[in-house]
Parts: sequence; C-alpha cells; structure tokens
Amino acid sequence: MTNNHDLKARIAAAKARQNDGDDTDTGTDGRAQIDGKAFGSAMRVGIELVSAIAIGTFVGYWIDQWLNTPPFAMIVFFFLGFAAGFLNLYKAQTKNYHKTGLGELTDTPKNGQKGSKEID
Amino acid sequence: MAGPLAQFQIKPIIPFDFAGYDLSFTNSSLWMALAVLSTTVLMMFTMRKKALVPGRWQNVGEILYEFISNMVSDTIGNQGRRYFPFVFSIFMIVLMGNLLGMVPYSFTFTSHIIVTGALALIVFLGATMIGIFKHGFHFLTLFVPKGLPIFIIPLVFVIEIISYLSRPVSLSVRLFANMMAGHTMLKIFAGFCVSLGAFVGILPMFVNVALVGFEILVAFIQAYVFAILTCVYLKDAIELH
Repeated sequence: MTNNHDLKARIAAAKARQNDGDDTDTGTDGRAQIDGKAFGSAMRVGIELVSAIAIGTFVGYWIDQWLNTPPFAMIVFFFLGFAAGFLNLYKAQTKNYHKTGLGELTDTPKNGQKGSKEID
Repeated sequence: MAGPLAQFQIKPIIPFDFAGYDLSFTNSSLWMALAVLSTTVLMMFTMRKKALVPGRWQNVGEILYEFISNMVSDTIGNQGRRYFPFVFSIFMIVLMGNLLGMVPYSFTFTSHIIVTGALALIVFLGATMIGIFKHGFHFLTLFVPKGLPIFIIPLVFVIEIISYLSRPVSLSVRLFANMMAGHTMLKIFAGFCVSLGAFVGILPMFVNVALVGFEILVAFIQAYVFAILTCVYLKDAIELH
C-alpha cells in the first residue's frame, strides 16, 4: 500500500516537473512530442563514432600488412580513427562545416548563428 | 517454432546459375521488385488527375515530392535540383523497403547489410566521382579545413580521410542495424506470447503493439536520415568550400 502511494506521489512529482520545463518540448496535451528532426539527428550520431574507429583500425591493419610493421600502424590509426570519430560528431552538429571549418572554434560568432543544432 | 533470425533467411524462388555465380531470383529480389513497383504505382496513381486543387490521393504524392524537393534545395541549394530524381529514388526505395517489411509474412530487404551497403556505396562513389569530375585535383581541399596552421595539416588530412571513408560504413550500418534489431525484437516478443501461455502471454502482445508503432516510426526516420545524408554528401562534393 505504501508502495502504491509512493509511486503515485512520484508520478505526480514527475508530471509537475515536466510541466515546469520549457513548453517547447510538450505538445498541447502535455505529453512529450517526438521531434522528427531531433530524433533523426540522434539516430545519426551513435554509429558515426564507431564506424570511424573501425575504419581507422582497418586502415592501420592494412598498412601493417603492406609494410610488415605490426602492430604499430594499427595502434596509431586506432587513435586517428578515434579522432575522426569525434570529428564526425562535430560535423554532424555543425552547419556548413566545410564552409567554416575548424576555425569556428576560435572565431567569434556572427549574428549568433554559430553551432546550429539542426542537422544539415 | 522458427527462431527470431529465421525471418532474414534468403530463399531462392527461381534458382538461376550463371558462370558460377548464384543469380537466383530470391525472396529479397521479390520484395525489392515489389518496392519499385509499389513506388511507381503509388506515384502514378496519386498523380493521375493532375488537378490544380489536389484531392486526398494527390496530396500524398505531392507531400512526398515536396518533402524531398525541400530537403534537396535546403541542403544543396539551387545546384542540387538536378540530383532530385536520384535522392527521391533512394528515399522511396528505402522507405518502401522498410514499410513493406512491416507487412506480416513479408521480407525486409533493408535488414541485409549487402543491400544497404550497395546503396551506401552508390551514394559514396557517386558523390566522390561528381566531386572529382567537377573540381579535379582541387577536390582534395575538402580534406583540409580552413584556418589551420601549416604544420598540423598532414595530421588533420589523415583524420579527415578516415572520417570521409567512414561515411559509407556508418550510412549502411545505421539502416541495416536499425531494421534488423527492430524486426528481431518483434519476433522475440511474439515468441514470448507463445511460451508464456494463454493468460500471461497477453502482456508481451501489448509490448509488440507498441513496438510495431515504433518500427513504423523508425522506418520513416531511417529513410529520412538516409536521404538527408545523401544530400549532405552531394553538397560536400559539389561545393567543397
């Protein structure tokens, strides 16, 4: 019984917390709406990191086979793949990456357009 | 009872062997053909009247067209208009593959990495070739971001190349993994219904109902993601900087 009460109180608290949050996330009926674009963006980023690490490691393995230097190239390219994975994440969240490049990290923002969360 | 992975088995319908290669017409080929057929029929049926004020069916066709048309012009810009048919075809084959896979007893060809890998390689190689034909040797500047000190360029170049090569992998694995995981999960929960008996077995069925809805959402989202990434890759190849 006490358990049941506890749960109800927690549900009420959670609902109150949700309503206190910003209204953009909740629809007219108060439930959270699934934003298609945001969901698509979330689906994108997970695999980006892993695939770059896999490709980096594979390239390193291939260079090792070619130059007969195992395991050094594989270790080096594993970390380069890791870097490429994070670059992928950065690209996925940055509009016009190839126009602005990494310079955006140090430049001052123009018209507040920097680092748009929309996927492009 | 068939295992949860039995649904992904390729079964030849019309066996055909050509010069040592197995070119059978399989259940996968059948559903690919059906996807192309249903896309063609859908578009021709919805646009048959060509009314100035669209009816319900014509709206379906126009929404599909405008969705991709806006995506292409928003992402690539005016130069991208000529790639609209390509992006639209990619979007429709992936969407139809995902949605036809939701029909009971059907086959989901997008749950095979060989299919999604081939699609991703077409996009990747196509975009790379467009970039090379358009810019020649200048294409390599795609891998050198602006505003870098000269001594760090070789390192960033290698990282950018790895990042570029990882594109077809992430593009194909994302679609394949989502479809395969979703359909496996549906089968597993359906299996729970049988093994838990008549009364408790009702509970996993409710989970399955929710999962079917979620899978239809994933079908749309994955087709959207595939199409928009095609646009992004084309844009990179066309614009460079």
